[in-house]
Amino acid sequence: MRASPHSAKPAAWFAAGIVFMLVFIATAAPAAEFAYVTNQGSETVSVVELKSFKSTAEIKVPGKPAGIARSARLSQIYVTAPDSHDVAVIDTATNTILRRIKTGGGPVGIAAHPTSGLIYVADWHSNTLAVVDPQAGRVLQTIEVGQSPSGVAISSDGSTILTADRDSDFVSIIDAKTHTRRVQIKVGTRPFGVTLSSDGTRAYTANVGSDDVTVIDLAASAVIATVPVGRRPYAVALTPSHAFVTDQYGGTVTVFDLATNKPVQTIEVGDHPEGIAYDAQTGNIYVACWFDNDLVRIDAVARTVTGKAKVGDGPRAFGDFLH
Amino acid sequence: MFKTTLAALALVAMLPLTAAAHGPSRQKVSQSIEINAPADKVWAAIGKFQDMSWHPAIAKTEGSGDNGTGAKRKLTLKSGGTIEEALTSYKADTKTYAYEITAVDVKVLPVSNYSSSIRVSGEGAKSTVEWKGAFYRGYVNNDPPPELNDEAAIAAVTGVYKAGLDALKAKLEAGG
Repeated sequence: MRASPHSAKPAAWFAAGIVFMLVFIATAAPAAEFAYVTNQGSETVSVVELKSFKSTAEIKVPGKPAGIARSARLSQIYVTAPDSHDVAVIDTATNTILRRIKTGGGPVGIAAHPTSGLIYVADWHSNTLAVVDPQAGRVLQTIEVGQSPSGVAISSDGSTILTADRDSDFVSIIDAKTHTRRVQIKVGTRPFGVTLSSDGTRAYTANVGSDDVTVIDLAASAVIATVPVGRRPYAVALTPSHAFVTDQYGGTVTVFDLATNKPVQTIEVGDHPEGIAYDAQTGNIYVACWFDNDLVRIDAVARTVTGKAKVGDGPRAFGDFLH
Repeated sequence: MFKTTLAALALVAMLPLTAAAHGPSRQKVSQSIEINAPADKVWAAIGKFQDMSWHPAIAKTEGSGDNGTGAKRKLTLKSGGTIEEALTSYKADTKTYAYEITAVDVKVLPVSNYSSSIRVSGEGAKSTVEWKGAFYRGYVNNDPPPELNDEAAIAAVTGVYKAGLDALKAKLEAGG
């Protein structure tokens, strides 16, 4: 008898909690609807609708597109084209190119700032990171980093920018306010992709040359673990509990536990898996397989492949490609 | 002296990886052929990493490590050049192996940073052999000469695959 007045209260709290959670989820991370997959061979971006898991459009982007970033607020994506030495600004409402911004050199990795609207473009040739205003269509300044910067990541609070400086075996940590490099941290051999945890405390680099992932504690600016993965790792995606790493030569995704930094599973995905991203809303991981021309979907909990969608030739999807 | 040589070798081994970062993009070739022979028989003909005599361009295979990961082979071509390769994965259950070129002159094969896999599949009396390669062109900087550009690399690798697969089919269907 005494249980009923007590049980009503928790139920109400529970309901309030659900509402709060839903609001929180809606504001924190709106569900991704599409994957925008850069296809280097066919020089296009495939637009894959995630619900039906089918390519619904293909946008022509001459210049061997590779890197990709998305705006947090606008319906825009940003694509690097190393062969034409520029960045394409694409309107995702119409799937058309609004403008192309010359950065010079060999732009590859790219990331969009969560609040300022600026984008940051790594230039493989000049060893710099370009700060670009995508609406004004111009480069505002360049920041000196290490040799052949490839991946770029920005903390979700917008304070810190990281570049994986592939031919220096370093990660550069840059202050996003002053646009100056604070520190360089030695990682494994030839870091390519770099990914930050959502709380900004850890960074993970995929080291193509040493077949491992370096785990960095950002507050301490120190390496805290090196995790062996498959051959020629390309990039890392993070769920709340695990890291998923594409092994280009292995044709696999290596999964390791973020608490122990130990590998727990290897998933066969297809030939030359490269760009990888996590959709927190559905719990799916998406992987671009460069040789097979597939976007592969993995259930992050079951850790099994649940679908494949055909895309253009030579998909790389290097960056934040869900939008 | 020995140390210096090793260091120099290590440096050379790293070169394609560094250079590939600048300018060119990676290329791919995939060729397959249907053969009127059971998959086991086809695998028996091509599944020994230390024996590439099934390919008509190869005069001699020398190597070590059998079919183990890291096994090495040196192919001497009938035209005289050599190609050195290392086995990176060998799966008898799926009749697949993967390897990389560790040393080749671009005059012999105009590619760099080359990796490849070959696989036999099939049911009953028919099989399919698929040979795939991923590589950069031979000239790793911008503005390559025509004999070392993307098209030249793709044409050369396609030629190697076609010649090998056609000869394999002819040999096995003739009962060889």
